[in-house]
Amino acid sequence: MSKSKNITGSPDAKLKGNGRLSAVKEMPFFVKCALFWLVFIVSAAIYTRLDRLFGQALPLQDPFYQGFLFGGASPTEGPSLDHVLGTDILSRDNLSRLLHGAWVSLVVAITVVSFGIVFGGLLGAFVGYARGRWETLVMGIMDVVLAFPPLVLLLALVAIYKVRSLPIIALVFGILSIPTYVRIARASTLGVASREFVQAAEAIGTKRFWILFREIIPNILPSLFAYALINAGFVIVVEGTLSYLGLSVQIPEPTWGNMINEGRRDIRQTILPIFWPGLFLTLTVVSLNMLGDWFQQRVAIRSSAL
Amino acid sequence: MLSKVIAARIARLVATLFAVSLLTFLMVEQLPGDPILAILPPEALDDLENIERIRSELRLDDPVLTRYGRWVGNAMQGDLGKSYITDQPVSDAIKDRIPVTIELAFLATLIAALAAIPIGAFSAYHEGGRFDRIASAFTTTALSIPAFLAGIFFIWLFTLKFNWLPSSGWNRITDKGIVANLKTAILPAGALSLAALAINARLIRADMIGTLKEDYILSARAKGLRSRYILMRHALRPSSLTAITVFGLQFGGLIGGTVVIETVFALPGLGTRLISGIYQRDVMMIQGITLFIATVYVVVNLFVDLLYLLLDPRIRRQ
Repeated sequence: MSKSKNITGSPDAKLKGNGRLSAVKEMPFFVKCALFWLVFIVSAAIYTRLDRLFGQALPLQDPFYQGFLFGGASPTEGPSLDHVLGTDILSRDNLSRLLHGAWVSLVVAITVVSFGIVFGGLLGAFVGYARGRWETLVMGIMDVVLAFPPLVLLLALVAIYKVRSLPIIALVFGILSIPTYVRIARASTLGVASREFVQAAEAIGTKRFWILFREIIPNILPSLFAYALINAGFVIVVEGTLSYLGLSVQIPEPTWGNMINEGRRDIRQTILPIFWPGLFLTLTVVSLNMLGDWFQQRVAIRSSAL
Repeated sequence: MLSKVIAARIARLVATLFAVSLLTFLMVEQLPGDPILAILPPEALDDLENIERIRSELRLDDPVLTRYGRWVGNAMQGDLGKSYITDQPVSDAIKDRIPVTIELAFLATLIAALAAIPIGAFSAYHEGGRFDRIASAFTTTALSIPAFLAGIFFIWLFTLKFNWLPSSGWNRITDKGIVANLKTAILPAGALSLAALAINARLIRADMIGTLKEDYILSARAKGLRSRYILMRHALRPSSLTAITVFGLQFGGLIGGTVVIETVFALPGLGTRLISGIYQRDVMMIQGITLFIATVYVVVNLFVDLLYLLLDPRIRRQ
């Protein structure tokens, strides 16, 4: 099974020791492409925020500017030099809206992943190591939350808020994501807690608190990260779905989901206003899934060689 | 022993259902804005006496727990209250619309299962080969495309380009027969099934790669049986138990997943009613449908778990 040569005694030696650049070199070609696309999307999202910060001084069209009102562009134009990817049904620049829309997906994904890893990971590691009554109680609560069909629970929760701003949406997503992370963290903790290095630490009388943070959490992080990559893709799909239903961040703020919704009205004339956000959405999720799969395989190989 | 396990699972089901109903009720209870505002037309809002009269008529001024108790008590007798807006009983709305949702979820589960078996089996058989690589690219894509996007793409391709199938509307089996019904159901069910299909194909592939290394497969080969026969009869069998469990759990999940697909194809299902309830802030409708879908999901999952217990001889004997 273990093809990697540089596995040493410590399970996370590879992660720390060799640095991240060598990991990129080992990637198969398609995974490299996926990483490249994700870097592009993240920088695009940050670039558009900087653009707004500087009052649209950076070279990019205004995502809200409706050209036809002022005799500029007309609605649903094809690609041209002014509008590289054409214009939408309100004659706004497609490329600019796509890049601005990346921000919403990015913020939601990052919130969910950090909530999941920080709160879910800590809680799961704690109950997995402490066991006993706390474990029963916490896992019982998580089971109830997971008993809901996720999309329906989200719809009901989102329906509560009249003002659907990005922080609220991200928060709802973040809190709802915690139970799965708790489960994964607990399951990996159960595996790690019976290992020799934990027993050794217990034998020399290390406090359980320090064992949790020094021995257990560093060793469950890789599997949490692997899940987080795939989970981020899933979350972007769900946010896109809510956006499509008009139940996420409100128009005119562009998101990939609401761009697709707006494009549907003109689907008989042209598919382009749907095609671009659909492509961006799908490519981003495919990339996250591919990177997640690759990372998971690495984690599996590494932990099987322990 | 088995009956003990079943009793424990049912006790957990009751606890979960209690929590689910409380969560649903409290969640919608938090809706900002007085439900009265949604019920009455704006010009009637000046008449304060009238507002108080309606409020006590609908018993909205009782304490929260009293109302929760009443709501759950009635729900157990099949009465989920009336929509404040259309005056339609919620249970009637559910009865009216559940066939569409169930059929979609069932068809999607069926498509996902039937298509995944050959894809997964042949990928496992030709592990690392060309078919495996193409199939893996397909499953990664299918897993990543949001269902609503696939639905829109299907509409564009099969309705606008080829004009083969309708893009919206629903023919009931009872009115128009099964062929007309399938014509309206196949596109939404297909779009809905993509992610489940990909997951199934990957599971079956992973499972069968393990099975194909077993000795009894080698002996079947040594006997000179045809490889397709070995694949379907000898190798697929042991995987089928896990597969059935996964299919069952997917069915529960897909009932929730139809919400979006019904909206894309404008189908008269439970999901479109839930969404319109959300748009209209129709409290009773949102509560009732959410509780109903969650209950179906929880109960289906329980049955699948129990079925697994009954089917697997190793667990049954314990």
